[in-house]
Amino acid sequence: MAIYSFWIFDRHCNCIFDREWTLSSNSSSGTVNSKQNEETAKLLYGMVFSLRSMTQKVSSGPLKNEIKSIATGKYRIHVYCTASGLQFVLITDFKQQSYTEVLQYIYSHIYVKYVAHNLFSAYDFADNKNETRGQGFRKIANRNFVQSLESFLSPMIVQ
Amino acid sequence: MERHTVAGVSATVNSERSDVDAMTEQQRIQQQLHVFQSSLPKVNELAYQLLFNEIIPLSMAVEKKLLNKTNLQDDQKVAKQDDDKATKDFEKLHINASLDAPSHKMCQEISESDQTKQERVFERVRNIGFQIGNKITELLVFSNNPNLRFKDMDLLAIMKFICRDVWKQLFGKQIDNLKTNHRGTFYLFDYDYRPIQSFSLESGSAEKELALVKPFLELPIGIIMGVLSSLGYSGEEVQCMATFVNRPDDRPKSTFHKGISFHVQVNSQ
Repeated sequence: MAIYSFWIFDRHCNCIFDREWTLSSNSSSGTVNSKQNEETAKLLYGMVFSLRSMTQKVSSGPLKNEIKSIATGKYRIHVYCTASGLQFVLITDFKQQSYTEVLQYIYSHIYVKYVAHNLFSAYDFADNKNETRGQGFRKIANRNFVQSLESFLSPMIVQ
Repeated sequence: MERHTVAGVSATVNSERSDVDAMTEQQRIQQQLHVFQSSLPKVNELAYQLLFNEIIPLSMAVEKKLLNKTNLQDDQKVAKQDDDKATKDFEKLHINASLDAPSHKMCQEISESDQTKQERVFERVRNIGFQIGNKITELLVFSNNPNLRFKDMDLLAIMKFICRDVWKQLFGKQIDNLKTNHRGTFYLFDYDYRPIQSFSLESGSAEKELALVKPFLELPIGIIMGVLSSLGYSGEEVQCMATFVNRPDDRPKSTFHKGISFHVQVNSQ
């Protein structure tokens, strides 16, 4: 199994999309936008956030230092941050070094096309002040987005 | 016509002067075309698409503002006698005008509002489309093809003009199918109407999706009517409406599951 799960966080520190695969044999197994993953999402966001601020502090030179991946004993976390504060996070095994292109593709060809250009979906998933700072619950449930993400990622589940 | 003869003369001169073969001549023409195309004015396609779609939420916002304004005026009439008008006017001037609701809420509001309000919004969108259609004819006839003469052409030619040139200019593609009974009834089928392709809700809400898409079809209706009116078919004699149709099975899958059919009825004497 090459990829385990995929997450999107918005600039209000909310998890707006999560997808977890449980069986490597079946690409449609697992959960989408599950309530049970809420705590995991918060932990994951916290880990990425703190390591990200650490990397930004421990850097020299004029260019901003961005975190790309975090490796633990069991898996590797790949992070792609956009200027608008979105974070695309992919948890994988160790077979492949970089998933930057994959995450970039998801952002530019799937997220932008089906969420940003979709007039029926919100572009800011925190509706009011009470839902910012990690208190939000709204998720991307849009049919086209879920479908095309699924068909894009499913060949990578077993690799 | 003048341009053609000039090009013809220069071509014969060229072939007499030196035995340039057909290939290089072809290349030269292609290069000229390239230079011509790169000299045309351009806009960013994305910005254009976003603005085009934003017309519908905008119409709803205008409708709401107008409604609020009339309500406000009614209130003011009641409260006029005991209030100083000058201070009230002064209070209305504030620097941080509140923002309108986001577009997706506006779209939702259109589909949820009552019939008369909905019809007023649709009317406004159609009028915007009408203006676009009216002006795009001028642009396309006089900048793309000065030789087109609509005077001696019939309605079918005008419909073809809409299907080819107008649709190509506005949406980057042509209408997929045109059907007619040669008595003033036309069906224009667009199986992948571009502006709505990335629109979708969560799965299992197809009905709601179609209701939300409805206002977006008023704009092309207005455009078709505008083009027809600028070419001499206007007012009562033209009717146009849009319906959803199933896409044929042999077409590649698109992201929006329904095609659009525009039904145009022209009753000319």
